[in-house]
Amino acid sequence: MFPFSLYAIAGILTGVHLYLLLGLTAYAPAANLLEWIALAGSLCLLAAAGISLFKPRAAARVALIACLLIWTFYAPATVKTLQTKVLRHRVVTEHSVPGEH
Amino acid sequence: MHVAPETIYSVLTYLSLLFLVLATAYAALVSFSSRPDGETASWTFPGPGKGSLRKAVGVAGIALAVGLASWIAFALRGSSRPASRFLIPEGYIGWVKVEFGVSGAPPLPVEGGKCVVRFSPSGFLKTSTPEQSMGGRDSYYYYSDSGTHALADRTSGAASLIWGQFHSQDFGSSGKHTYEQFFVGTEQQFKEQVNPTNQAEGNAARGGAVNK
Repeated sequence: MFPFSLYAIAGILTGVHLYLLLGLTAYAPAANLLEWIALAGSLCLLAAAGISLFKPRAAARVALIACLLIWTFYAPATVKTLQTKVLRHRVVTEHSVPGEH
Repeated sequence: MHVAPETIYSVLTYLSLLFLVLATAYAALVSFSSRPDGETASWTFPGPGKGSLRKAVGVAGIALAVGLASWIAFALRGSSRPASRFLIPEGYIGWVKVEFGVSGAPPLPVEGGKCVVRFSPSGFLKTSTPEQSMGGRDSYYYYSDSGTHALADRTSGAASLIWGQFHSQDFGSSGKHTYEQFFVGTEQQFKEQVNPTNQAEGNAARGGAVNK
């Protein structure tokens, strides 16, 4: 049951997360193709959870492919987020905002 | 108990990454490892589950998945704020900032379902309206005596005149202060503001001072 739980939880969490991100693209320049690829990966991960109840080894291979699909979005997004946090820190510390109290 | 949408979203992001790492590691371990001869089922090489158990776990898992997804989506969507209409003095280039929840300051007027945030010539505004982040498609305008005209926002990509929008807060002697701020100007001007190296390079390229 461990693989089922792990794949299912990971698939649900990433799926909901990506779904919400895609919902927010109304406020962004454009939807990212990688988000759709990763969302497909989340669905594959859920499928792997189901397969794991019958063929655990085959499910692991499906899950691995699914995870790689999901990482195509999460890996660059994580790097970009870290870069943005560094940039934002610079903004807060180095810039004087007009009218600041 | 009210949980801020940002908190839910942050927790969701970190949990997603955590479980993605775990699932990747586990799937890779099982996929690339060979099962030792004679070894019984273990957590790394599990056998197929029992029939009744498989059905029970499958049904419970699907119900849990649907319930969790619905709850999170409902929680985040239900708490979105109305969109804002930001009015910026004509020709203003630089950072603008609005401070929320200031007692004694006027509330933000609502026109056509949008909060109207009208900045003073200094680019600053105080309002008693509490901050409501997440959601809503904001719009940005320059205003002058002759009227208003729309500014290109993030939907315009590199042509946008709105950059670096973020929320912040600090805790002073007078309590908690929450802000929303963003930069009005071209991408190049924004980069010059946040990176002094770029600013120096930009000045050198133009052979003059920063155009503000």
